Amino acid sequence: MRCQKIRRLLPLLAGDELPEKQMAKVKEHLKGCLPCREEYEKYVLLVRNTRRWLDENRVGWEEQEWRDIVQNAVNQGTKRKSVLVPWPFPRGWAYALMAGVMLLIATFIVRPPFVEHNGLTPKLGDEGEAKKQEVVSMTMVSKETGLKIVWFLDKNFDLEDNE
Amino acid sequence: MKDEDTLVEEILQGKHSSFELLLQPYRQGFLNMAYRITGDSEEAKEVCQEALLKIFKYLKSFKKGRSFKTWSYKVLVNTSYDYLRNKKKFSRVIESQKAASVYVVPEIEQKIWINQMKEKIQNMLDILSPKEKAVFLLRDSEGLSVKEASLVLGCSQISVRTHLSRARQKIKAHFEKKQRAQEREEKT
Repeated sequence: MRCQKIRRLLPLLAGDELPEKQMAKVKEHLKGCLPCREEYEKYVLLVRNTRRWLDENRVGWEEQEWRDIVQNAVNQGTKRKSVLVPWPFPRGWAYALMAGVMLLIATFIVRPPFVEHNGLTPKLGDEGEAKKQEVVSMTMVSKETGLKIVWFLDKNFDLEDNE
Repeated sequence: MKDEDTLVEEILQGKHSSFELLLQPYRQGFLNMAYRITGDSEEAKEVCQEALLKIFKYLKSFKKGRSFKTWSYKVLVNTSYDYLRNKKKFSRVIESQKAASVYVVPEIEQKIWINQMKEKIQNMLDILSPKEKAVFLLRDSEGLSVKEASLVLGCSQISVRTHLSRARQKIKAHFEKKQRAQEREEKT
């Protein structure tokens, strides 16, 4: 291995983080290369010192403070329970059920089943009903574009509306 | 002593006193990690509180047989960086108010030395990118292995080694630069 590649591995060798295979190769290189060995020694010193500094400057909990913080987490964790907790099935089912109910409510609002619709679309019924039919529709569909035009005509064939 | 899986099981069954036992081995490590990332002991305590709440809340999602240590450190590191992100947003708003009222508090000599030491370490950490800092702290401050650090950060072991190597190279360059500047000052 070249010195340039070895230099990138030296910080890891100093901290004992290299896989064994690579470690052996780097150590082999260090035996015959003085500048790399000097660099390695600097890293060893650096790792040792930074670890010592970090260890000497640790912050700590006071016993009561730690207990309070743990207790607080437990209290808040048990307080913030979801409304879906008593639901015994997977949570996704609850959402699906809620969506279904909302869809049903929306349908009832848009088209209430208890109100008779006097819309322009003629209802299909028995023969007697068909005779009473006052509105006739005529549909034309374009084969090329798929455009659909519907004319609504009254019993006198006067144009009532179109879509 | 009970193993971590048993303690997790007990907590999930409602024995909340086991939560403290479960966290006991990591209490200093959590605070230190949060302290090194945020750079302030009070903020570190806030981060720990938030992380502990998340750990308790999402304990159900912890898979048995996995390492609680790496899972909980992952929660802590993510909470710390979330905190920093939110703080950054907030600090932009109050920056102008703060600038008007800066003053220096007189301190005794020993305190100055301790603060200088802390500042040195903090300065050293500030030159690292968030990922380099996290890898460096997990390995050199908390003593986690490369494999454990990769599980905490959700990246490969190769990535951990790369970041660790870069972090140490940066720190070395930082100290060498400082040393050269000091030598120049002494000469003049």
